Amino acid sequence: MSEILKLENVSYVYSKGTPFEKVALNNVSVAFERGKITGLIGHTGSGKSTLVNLLNGLYKPTEGRVLLDGEDIWAKPKEIAKVRYRVGLVMQYPEYQLFDETVRSDIGFGPRNRGLSREEIDVRIKEAARFVGITDEMLDKSPFDLSGGQKRRVAIAGIVAMGPDVLVLDEPAAGLDPKGRREILGGLRRYVEEKNITIILVSHSMEDMALYCDNVVVMNRAEVFRTGTVREIFSESGVLASVGLDVPGISGIAAELISRGIPLEGELYTVEGVKDAILRYIRGGAR
Amino acid sequence: MISDITLGQFFPGYSPLHKLDPRTKIILAVLSIVAIFFANNAVSFALLTLAAVVMIAISRISFKVILRGIRPIIIILLFTAVLNILMTDGKGTPLVEFWIISIYTEGIVRAVFMALRVVLLIVITSMLLTYTTSPISLTDGLESLLSPLKVIRVPVHTFAMMMSIALRFIPTLIEETEKIMNAQKSRGADFSSGGLIKRAKALIPILIPLIVSSFKRAEELATAMECRCYRGDKNRTKLVKLQFKGRDIVWFLAIAAITAGIILLSILPYKFVSPGIIYDIAFFKI
Repeated sequence: MSEILKLENVSYVYSKGTPFEKVALNNVSVAFERGKITGLIGHTGSGKSTLVNLLNGLYKPTEGRVLLDGEDIWAKPKEIAKVRYRVGLVMQYPEYQLFDETVRSDIGFGPRNRGLSREEIDVRIKEAARFVGITDEMLDKSPFDLSGGQKRRVAIAGIVAMGPDVLVLDEPAAGLDPKGRREILGGLRRYVEEKNITIILVSHSMEDMALYCDNVVVMNRAEVFRTGTVREIFSESGVLASVGLDVPGISGIAAELISRGIPLEGELYTVEGVKDAILRYIRGGAR
Repeated sequence: MISDITLGQFFPGYSPLHKLDPRTKIILAVLSIVAIFFANNAVSFALLTLAAVVMIAISRISFKVILRGIRPIIIILLFTAVLNILMTDGKGTPLVEFWIISIYTEGIVRAVFMALRVVLLIVITSMLLTYTTSPISLTDGLESLLSPLKVIRVPVHTFAMMMSIALRFIPTLIEETEKIMNAQKSRGADFSSGGLIKRAKALIPILIPLIVSSFKRAEELATAMECRCYRGDKNRTKLVKLQFKGRDIVWFLAIAAITAGIILLSILPYKFVSPGIIYDIAFFKI
């Protein structure tokens, strides 16, 4: 497996030396595979957001190294901005970062900072807008006139337009309705396939993880608890429950069926997968 | 990081200083400020420094935290000190005379006193008020102290409420600023290089979201308060009633005595003749 981003024995401590000192990450080593969508799960306060902020150099590890393509991102602290163009970070509730007069120029903020030519910027704005589902007429509106879901899309487009190799999203679908979720996450899936980039997706929704991710990293109490493919992780429902997480609802149903003597096999973490497994069982039984 | 700023931050704890009635602490702070501005000789400053050290020791707040609170004003301190050294004319012969610069003993003493005054001002007021008093009890104390003004129809409760809301939202605002800065940094914004105009322009992507969200939050807060039928101080009861205790009196007497002593030292003309070097250093007045 080829890794694009890697954390080596990384620790991070907040407010070191004050009464508020708190260890957010404790000796974490984890690697993210190139060209895949890796999901990052863990209950609130498990260190997900801290980890995400370390990936593009917003935070500097208290100990350990963050490697991008095998190079320490803090090797030249003055060039950390270059890392931020390569590892695009969409923060939690990113809509608060919108500020410009039009959607178009807000999406163009990152590419302008990167110093691209005007034509190049225009191309990228159009492309990013298409991926997240922003129509041409929306581009000339003020971002403050849009609805919450549309603002979210604009904010994500602002990062996508920088053309990062790795796109990190912290709960991109939080607070959106199911349709909005599908559109945004589905758009990202297409984006990965078309551009062959890497995505790291933080989410609380096990269903989203099962549907859109290839690999999963489970965090618990400032440490990496498990890593593996979606299938590996979601087949151990008891282990996830032990750290306060659920498997997708459909996996629970599948597990229940298995425990009652119906041997299902296959991708037992998506509705489609379980449906196929049940159909296979019924046809097999009829034979 | 911005959140490392400790000036004006409350450190929860159970020390005797934390337990003091907030009204006492406000009065003590006012007395100390008066004393600090009256202080003009080494003995007075020694007394005040001692008081500050005692407060720090009692509060059990680490010395490092207090140093960090002073750090942001070091440049101002140095600036005033240098100005004082250069601009003060003394009576005797100058210590250093060079081109248009002449430095007198008085200048150096005044610079030291000035710096000490600013540091003490910050340390003592923040020890008494912000570090050891939660914003809620602080505004409670203030409201209680100002309540006589209600007679002349000053909306004391409203002011206290506004103040507690303002104080309450300082950490939120700091956190939010940091969040927005991080978001814009992730988009390649650069706040730390370029000339003055470039840096000012770089602030726009931070200020606009900050203002927008502040307005939004104010509106939400107002709605939330109305939903809970907030209507000011009419018939409002308090969960914690403020009550002076023995320790309040002890503290009050101690600080009042120090303040009185310092005022006396500074306004009384010394009648007795200088008994030598020790007197000179201790009571050298500026």
